[in-house]
Amino acid sequence: MDFKFSDEQLKLRKEFFDVCRDLEKIKPKGYVGLESNYDTDEGWEYHIHCAKEFARRGWLALDWPAQYGGSGTMMDRVFFAEAKGYYDVGGVDVFGVDMLAPTILGAGNEDIKRRFLPGIGAGDVMWCELWSEPNAGSDLASLTTTAVRKGDEYVLNGQKTWSTGAHRAHWAFAVVRTNPNAEKKHQGLTFLLFDMKTPGITVKPLFYMEGGHYYNEVFLDDVRVPVKNVVGEEGKGWQVTQMLAGFERSNLGAIMCMQRQLEDLVKYCNETKGKGEVLAKDPLVRNRLAQAACELEAARCLAYRIADAQSKKEMAPFDASAVKITSGELQARMAHMATDLFGPYGQVEISRWARLNGFFETWYQHHFRLNVAMGTNEIQRNIIAWNGLNLTRMK
Amino acid sequence: MNIAFTEEQEMLRKAARDFLTTECPKKMVRELEEDEKKGYSPVIWKKMADLGWQGMVIPEKYNGQGMTFQDFTVLLEEMGRNILPGPFICTVIEGAYPIMDAGTEEQKKEFLPKIASGESIFTMAQLEPNGLFDASGVTLKATHKGDHYVLEGTKVFVEMANIANYIICVARTVKGVSADDGVTVFIVDAKSVGIHVEVMPTIGMDKLCEVQFKNVSVPIKNVLGKPDKGWHIVENVMRRGAIAKCAESVGGMQAAVDMTVAYSKERVQYDRPIGAFQALQHIMADMWTAMQTSRYILYQAAWMESEGMPCTREVAMAKAYVNEKYKWVTERGVLLHGAIGTSREHDIPLYFRRAKAADIRYGGTDFQKEIVANKIGLIS
Repeated sequence: MDFKFSDEQLKLRKEFFDVCRDLEKIKPKGYVGLESNYDTDEGWEYHIHCAKEFARRGWLALDWPAQYGGSGTMMDRVFFAEAKGYYDVGGVDVFGVDMLAPTILGAGNEDIKRRFLPGIGAGDVMWCELWSEPNAGSDLASLTTTAVRKGDEYVLNGQKTWSTGAHRAHWAFAVVRTNPNAEKKHQGLTFLLFDMKTPGITVKPLFYMEGGHYYNEVFLDDVRVPVKNVVGEEGKGWQVTQMLAGFERSNLGAIMCMQRQLEDLVKYCNETKGKGEVLAKDPLVRNRLAQAACELEAARCLAYRIADAQSKKEMAPFDASAVKITSGELQARMAHMATDLFGPYGQVEISRWARLNGFFETWYQHHFRLNVAMGTNEIQRNIIAWNGLNLTRMK
Repeated sequence: MNIAFTEEQEMLRKAARDFLTTECPKKMVRELEEDEKKGYSPVIWKKMADLGWQGMVIPEKYNGQGMTFQDFTVLLEEMGRNILPGPFICTVIEGAYPIMDAGTEEQKKEFLPKIASGESIFTMAQLEPNGLFDASGVTLKATHKGDHYVLEGTKVFVEMANIANYIICVARTVKGVSADDGVTVFIVDAKSVGIHVEVMPTIGMDKLCEVQFKNVSVPIKNVLGKPDKGWHIVENVMRRGAIAKCAESVGGMQAAVDMTVAYSKERVQYDRPIGAFQALQHIMADMWTAMQTSRYILYQAAWMESEGMPCTREVAMAKAYVNEKYKWVTERGVLLHGAIGTSREHDIPLYFRRAKAADIRYGGTDFQKEIVANKIGLIS
């Protein structure tokens, strides 16, 4: 048992960190993580710029098979996620690079791979996810958007929602119901891809609590999608959504993002006066920061266990749920802690009055992404309870 | 990076699990807790020595097995899972390691084979009535007189001093420029004239003792390490001991999670097993998560220590984290068992009480967090 990186790994890891450090320097003011890619034109341009920088180094396709342009391993991908998380830069399309590419590699036919992987790897085509519906969130399989086959096309009708970046994305991947008469709700679903410029698509903003435009409702009215754009088989869409094996599930990106936040807070507390003394000398402040550091370290160690397992083609699915819960909830607590440390300034949004550029005040409102999206933490707890501990599944 | 145990380590784990399940059932754990005189089983102790456990980390030239600290923590995890009352951790962590670290060749030859054979039980007397874990807490006076020193003072929370053959006593020889300076460590024969031992009633019923030293004479040859410069020996004990307790705690968490999940599948209320209720499922999922995060922060610390890497920061983080998780997991365990979980006859409260005992040993959570605060760069 060892947690050691090889010299070669350390060298590559440093390269990722060096490039991301440079990209951090040109970050637009107030840019925070994933959401900032979609809100403003400036954020979107920065995201694309970073994507091109990564693409020309082959980093958007790191662990792909060599014939599709891959040049590295799962562990390289983990290191890249760490670097990107630590400097909180754009450039990795969560939907295209993190979700769709491994799905296509796992379930797509040769034609699909050939048509769609190059655009993802080059950072040219940005994607959005059309999964959730107004009445199908955690219970995704109860979705009702229909796709009726007409010749070599499907005709889609229905409404999707909570689609991050749908107002900017070039293409979408969706799960739709092709057989409404299937015996079980998980059957009769199909996973397909389409151009967001296809006629019949209407995108309406769902403004976030602070007014930002990240999420959307997407209405589909007689949207025609070629049959050749199906990933996997018709009626097997649910299985395609479950192609988790190739996903990078360590959460080390989020964890390294918090590592940086902790370092920034230590610096802040060392430099900022509280009652007479710097905050760093206040026992309460020391205790809170130390607590966060311990929790972060625990999450990091379990995350490496997942990365190591995935490198060996093992799944560690319950560990992945555990680390998602642990890191997401820690991010929430860190935002609380930081905004507490700032006193009355903990409420200030990005402006000349803000502490640390309003970064933590933003996270105070944004941490829900980590705890709601990609399977809420309650769903993660179900996964551990039902599949990990073999407790009775809810009917 | 390879975050998995070797085949040999897995075999050791299985052998330890089988041995402890057979030799130390919970009924015996309770009996040993209630046994006011000894608190350990000499029969099991002898069998453990036959398996080579006391000498596991002792070099082969002193009749040990020359295995690694990481191997040792695998064993401790199983001891924590089963619960094994007795002087194992104190003998190895507080006796064997300090002698291996700082002992003269003569001391090594004299004591290490006796530890490996199970003949000698060791413990360390560090804490004093002031309750401080750092060097400033050491006030027991050692006065140099010719060919011996004279010890005078009181130590508390000395594990298994009631049956120990040797007590490693941490004493103050001079007032140095800093608290760390002027601490000397002695190997004291527990039968020495002037030593008075009394078992303290503690939550873990683990035979922590008050040891009074009244005019106790210790020959100079029994000084461990250099006079006045012995604090680093105690630091090493604290660091390794913290990892050892984390290993025990992770094992204990595994037992508490297994026991609670099994019970929730058997206990029927409202016509269904209580484990079918999501309110309880999510608590059990959180217990499992607490155990897994604790497990790998422990494994990292154990690996670093085993490799001889500096790991004060990682160990303090692990101990602070695991302390709280072990207490939380076992408390939930008692709660999910309902009223039966509070009874003396039940196994789950054994773990709940031991979690508090483990928390305090080698530095509680706040003590560890202050180390962490310094290590993450907060100015003090």
